[in-house]
Amino acid sequence: MNVHEYQAKKIISQYGIKIPKGQVAYTPLEAKNIARKISYRGPWMLKAQIQSGARNKGKFIEKSAGRKGGIREVKHLSDVYVEADKMLGATLVTPQTGPKGKLVSRIYVEEFSIVKKIFYTGLVIDRMNAAITLLIADIKNREISEMAAHSPELILRLNLDLLTGASQEQIHQVLDYLELGEKSVQSLEQFINGLHQAFVDCDATMLEVNPAGVNAKGDIIALDAKLSIDDNALFRHKDFLPLQDEYETEDRELKANKNGFQYSSFDGSIGCIVNGDGIALAAMDLIREKGEGTACFLNVKGGVDKDKIASGIKIIMTNPRVEGILINVLGGFLRCNLLAEGIVAAASEVGLNVPLVVRFEGTNKDEAKEILLHSKLPLIIADSMEDSVDKLLAAMEAAD
Amino acid sequence: MSILVDKHTKVLIQGITGTQASFHVKRSMDYGTKVVAGVTPGKGGTFHLDVPVFNTVQEAVKETGANASVMYVPARFVKSAVKEAVEAELDLSVCIADGVPIKDMLEIKAMLHGSETRLIGPNTPGIITPGEARLGIFPENIHTPGRIGIVSRSSTLTYEAVLETNRAGLGQSTVIGLGDDMIVGTAFEDILELFHKDTNTDAIVMIGQMGGTFEEAGAEFYKHLKHRKPVIGFVAGNAVPFGHKMGYAGDVITNGSITVQDKRDAMTKAGMTVVDSINNIHDELAKLGLAKA
Repeated sequence: MNVHEYQAKKIISQYGIKIPKGQVAYTPLEAKNIARKISYRGPWMLKAQIQSGARNKGKFIEKSAGRKGGIREVKHLSDVYVEADKMLGATLVTPQTGPKGKLVSRIYVEEFSIVKKIFYTGLVIDRMNAAITLLIADIKNREISEMAAHSPELILRLNLDLLTGASQEQIHQVLDYLELGEKSVQSLEQFINGLHQAFVDCDATMLEVNPAGVNAKGDIIALDAKLSIDDNALFRHKDFLPLQDEYETEDRELKANKNGFQYSSFDGSIGCIVNGDGIALAAMDLIREKGEGTACFLNVKGGVDKDKIASGIKIIMTNPRVEGILINVLGGFLRCNLLAEGIVAAASEVGLNVPLVVRFEGTNKDEAKEILLHSKLPLIIADSMEDSVDKLLAAMEAAD
Repeated sequence: MSILVDKHTKVLIQGITGTQASFHVKRSMDYGTKVVAGVTPGKGGTFHLDVPVFNTVQEAVKETGANASVMYVPARFVKSAVKEAVEAELDLSVCIADGVPIKDMLEIKAMLHGSETRLIGPNTPGIITPGEARLGIFPENIHTPGRIGIVSRSSTLTYEAVLETNRAGLGQSTVIGLGDDMIVGTAFEDILELFHKDTNTDAIVMIGQMGGTFEEAGAEFYKHLKHRKPVIGFVAGNAVPFGHKMGYAGDVITNGSITVQDKRDAMTKAGMTVVDSINNIHDELAKLGLAKA
């Protein structure tokens, strides 16, 4: 799960990292009011909040948004409104978004920071060495993307201790590498070890400050922040779930739509596969009544293609939040045996690691049961909707 | 005629009483695997599938002499399960669960370092020595005892590789899934080394996939071996485009975006035979002129 710059900055600021004053705005008027509040004089920075790098190099698809990119420096208060109005609701395409771009629905209004030097900082998992690695690049006039591709040897890499972060020696290595004076030692240490602690505490997979700035006093300031959190660890970070931007993250929905299915996600733990809106709502109600929540439901409607059904089921099976699957189908047009074949195909491809309860009624129900029984998959077959929910909850409890 | 596990391996099952575990453990026992104990906290003193259940791994080892484990515990309990296995000094642990948090894996790798225990997985179908022992969730009926070692990152492609050896009229010495997660317990080079030491493995099939530099590290190790056994390689994921990404840290750590082709090239340069399609493996195996199983 990725979070927006303004959210990431708020998180790292709690670890003693200095960030410029700023606030998020959803409308041009809000942007103007925020600008006035954070500084009585410009310039201000207006930053499109989409989860992508290279926003300053991006271009908006809409002509009305103007030629400038997704990060704009604005000198006059009246222009804050004008520029915010141009950016909000427009679609920004950057080298990292793909050609479709991303809709800008909020912008971050920030005070302008005067810095003497900027550099790149990243914390990332080095999967080969199973360590958190600190990456520091003295980018000077270069782009970090170019350095990564053409001169990676110029980038400083230090593996950090999981428990204690950077050592004094490592801090001084960074200080020397960046040619910073002794006056920055304390600020640099706070910066690096603050980021490290935030990384560990948040179960991050990536934390990037690109760039960080050094001001006249030698203090380090995070001018940008990107944070990715391990989806598999979200169970211990329930507080992060509201930070999720559905527009940015729900590619499952897109995949489902492609097959003519409907996919919706919620914050519970049960994945439901159903074949109609009514049955979906009924199943969700029943789950809620029994004290659990729905993670997502996939409505396969009258889908008849076995492969399509399998791909739909895979969408559910691979949702990390799903701890149990409930398949509840009243086959009319939908032939239960096709769904059964789809279930078997999907389960044997992606594996079945959570309890799965199936309840079929209607067309070809007996054939469907036969297929499931023959598949040797560890499925539980239920007789009614209520029975299916009860059996699933019992199986989930046993699995815990 | 195998590495890591055989018919003498005494297996204990961590989390034996779960539905999934029961299903697969029964199949493993029917296959001939020597399952000597189960561990489920709070259920010590009982029997499950006719196997004695203990509260801790330590107890189970003391009472039964178990030297390997298979974990059927949910992802969030894997860290404590590995801790128990390491403390009981098991030789081998197989972790089936997927979705283990990365931070837990960092701690697990630190625990394993310098310990007696080798971890296979997580997110693996496990390890099987055909005709002798099945530790995991393999569809056991497709395997044939033989002299080809198989090591793979992907579960389903492991099965494909097994079918390919069968097609070539050959069988498998041992088949291992390394696991499909970002950080796993065992690397290609570890298994390549074991297969090279095993007098009953004649050739190796190595299946990689996109992500990380696991294949490169395996190839680098292979390149420097003095006496190399033939390796037939395949890397999956060529048709998958790089999705949109966030930030540059990923590129920096791997020195740029690593493509499947980069991996294939590294393996070829190291002296492996890399095939374009997984279904070409049997042809290459046949060319080796090995005795049929």
